[in-house]
Amino acid sequence: MAQLLDFKCPSCGGAINFDSQAQKMKCPYCDTEFEMDAVLQHEEAIQSESAKDDFTWNVQADNNWQEDELNNFAAYVCQSCGGQIVGDFTTAATSCPYCDNPVVIAGNISGDMRPDYIIPFKLTKEQAKQGLREHMKGKRLLPKQFKDENHIDKIRGMYVPFWLFDTKADANFRYKATKTSTWSDSNYVYTKTSYYSILRSGNIAFSSVPVDASSQMPDDLMESIEPYNVAELTNFHAGFLAGYLADRYDVPADECIERANHRVRQSTENQFRSTVTGYSTVATENSNIQLSDGKANYVLYPVWVLNTSWQGEQFTFAMNGQTGRFIGDLPLDRKAYWKWFGLVALIAAALAYAAAWLFLR
Amino acid sequence: MKQKKHLKTIALFISVIFTVLLIPIQTSAQTIPDQRLLPRLVDNADLLNDSEEEKLLDKLDLISEKYQTDVAIVTVYSLEGKTAAEYADDFFDYNGYGIGPNRDGVLFLISMEHRDWFITTHGSGIQTFTDAGRAHMTEQFLSYISDAKYAKGFNKFVDLSEQYLKQAAKGKPYDYGNLPKKPLAWYWLPAAIGVGLIVAFVIVGGMKAKLKSVRRQVGADDYVAANSFVLTDQRDLYLYSHVSRTAKPKESSSGGGSGGGSRTRTSSSGSTHGGSGGKF
Repeated sequence: MAQLLDFKCPSCGGAINFDSQAQKMKCPYCDTEFEMDAVLQHEEAIQSESAKDDFTWNVQADNNWQEDELNNFAAYVCQSCGGQIVGDFTTAATSCPYCDNPVVIAGNISGDMRPDYIIPFKLTKEQAKQGLREHMKGKRLLPKQFKDENHIDKIRGMYVPFWLFDTKADANFRYKATKTSTWSDSNYVYTKTSYYSILRSGNIAFSSVPVDASSQMPDDLMESIEPYNVAELTNFHAGFLAGYLADRYDVPADECIERANHRVRQSTENQFRSTVTGYSTVATENSNIQLSDGKANYVLYPVWVLNTSWQGEQFTFAMNGQTGRFIGDLPLDRKAYWKWFGLVALIAAALAYAAAWLFLR
Repeated sequence: MKQKKHLKTIALFISVIFTVLLIPIQTSAQTIPDQRLLPRLVDNADLLNDSEEEKLLDKLDLISEKYQTDVAIVTVYSLEGKTAAEYADDFFDYNGYGIGPNRDGVLFLISMEHRDWFITTHGSGIQTFTDAGRAHMTEQFLSYISDAKYAKGFNKFVDLSEQYLKQAAKGKPYDYGNLPKKPLAWYWLPAAIGVGLIVAFVIVGGMKAKLKSVRRQVGADDYVAANSFVLTDQRDLYLYSHVSRTAKPKESSSGGGSGGGSRTRTSSSGSTHGGSGGKF
C-alpha cells in the first residue's frame, strides 16, 4: 500500500485544497485559508507524531510500488473514507472517486521523483471554461452545433512534469554572402556581384527550455501552450498538488534533451544569422555549436486539460494554468467552408473583373 | 444709243446662257450634284439579303437625319482600277453624299475583289471621325467583315458611327486621349474567376487555419537568457567580385506624332476628305 498525503483542515478536519486565486491552502468546508508554510509545518508535526509507522510505510510503499509498477497501475486506500483508489503508476495527485477528497501519492513526489520547482495554478476551472468560449470566438468555420452544445466531457487541472534545461552554447558560423549592385550606360546594364566570407563567433545562453516529461501528454499540445513565466517558479511543496491531478515524469531527462538540443540549435542559428545584414544572399557554409554547463531541473507546470468528443472524434484542449494561453484544434464545418469559399470567390472575381473593366480597357 | 445698249444686254445674256450651258457640258461626267443621287446603302456586291438591307438602310437614314451627317455604306465587286481611297472619295463626291453646305458625311466602302475597305469622311465628318477615332472604331467591327458576317459588321459600324456623332455633338469628338472604352477581351472573365478562386483559397484557408492551434515550437527564442548573446569574433571578408552585362533592349522610336485630329487629302473633285482603309 502506497502512502497517501492528504491535507486536513486544522480547523474543521475537512480535506483542504490549494486555492489558485488566493495562492494559499483553503478549506472548502469552513473557508479558512492557511499559509503554505503553516500547513507544511502542521503536516510535519503530525507526521512526526506517528514517525514510527510512517517509516515502515515508506519502506513498504517502495516495495509495493515496484510490484505495482509492473502492471502499470497502482492501488491506494483513501485515508478519508477507506475506498480504494486506482491510479496510473505515474499518478502523483488525484482525487478519491468515492469521497472526492484530494489525495497526493507521496511516493511519486519524493526522492528522485520530487520536483525541484513548481508553478502553482493561477487560473481556475471557471477561467478554463471561459478560455474555451473565447477560443471558439471568431472562428467562422467552426460547426455551429459544436459551439452551441459546448459540452465538455472533462476538465482537469493537471500538473504536468517538465524538464527544464539550462545550457550555454559556444558557436562558430561561416557564411557565404553576396552583394549585388546594378548600373547602366546607354547600351548595357551591368550587374556586379561581390562575394564575402562572413565569420561569426560567440556565445549565447538558454535557461529553462522546457520539454514535456510525461509520455501521456502530447508533446505538441504542451509546446503550444508555452511559454511559462519562469520567474514564478517556486520551491516544490506537496500542498500545491492538493485538489489537482499530477503526474510524475516517466520520460527521463536524457531522453528529453534531444528535443531541447534541437530547439537550442535552431535558436542559436537564427540569432547568429540575424547579425549578418546588408547582403542580398546569405548561405551557411559551416556551423559549429558546442553546448556546455548543461543542467536539467524537474518541475511541474499547471495545465487545464479539457476533453470533449464530437461526432465520434476526440478533441483535447489545453490552457496554460499560469498565463491562460488556450490552444486546441477545432473541427471544421465543411458546408460552411464551401459556402464561404463560394461567397469570397464570387466577390473577389467580381471585384477583379470590375477592376479590369475600369483600368485595363 | 438705245439700240446699242440693247445689243449689249443681249450679248451679255447670250454669254451668260452659254457659260451656264457650257460648264455642265464640260464636266458632265465629273460633276458634284446638289442632291444625293443614291440611297445611303448601296449593296452592289450583294452581301446582304433584302430584309437586312431594309433594316440597315432605315437605321442609316435615321441616324443621318438625326445628326445631319450622311452615314453611308457601299459594297462593290471591284475598284475599277482606282485605289480604295480614290474610289471611296469619288463615290462620295460624284454621287452627292453629304448634308448641308459642307456636305457632312462618312462613307464606308468595301470592295470584294481584293478585299479592300475604306472609310472616307467629308465636311464635319473629318472632325467627327478622327484618325485615332477611326482606328479605334475599325478595331471593333472589321473582324466581323473579315469573317463574312457583313450584316453584323455593318450594324456595328452604324452603331459606332452614332456613338461618334453623339460624342462630336457634345463638342469633344473621340480622339487621342479621349477614346471610348472597348469592351474587355473575353479572357478577362476566366482570369477574374481564377483570381476569385485564388483569393478565396487564401482567405478561407486563413479562416480554416484559425481552427488549428496545436503546433510544435520552432527554436527556443523565449528562453534565451537576457543579454547572454555575445559575439566574440565578427568579420566580413571581401573575397572577389565579378561584373556581368546585358544589352539594353532598344527602345522603339515611336515615329510620327500623335497629335490627334485627322490627316486629310484632296480628291479628284478638289474637295477635302479624311479617312483610312486597308484590307479585311
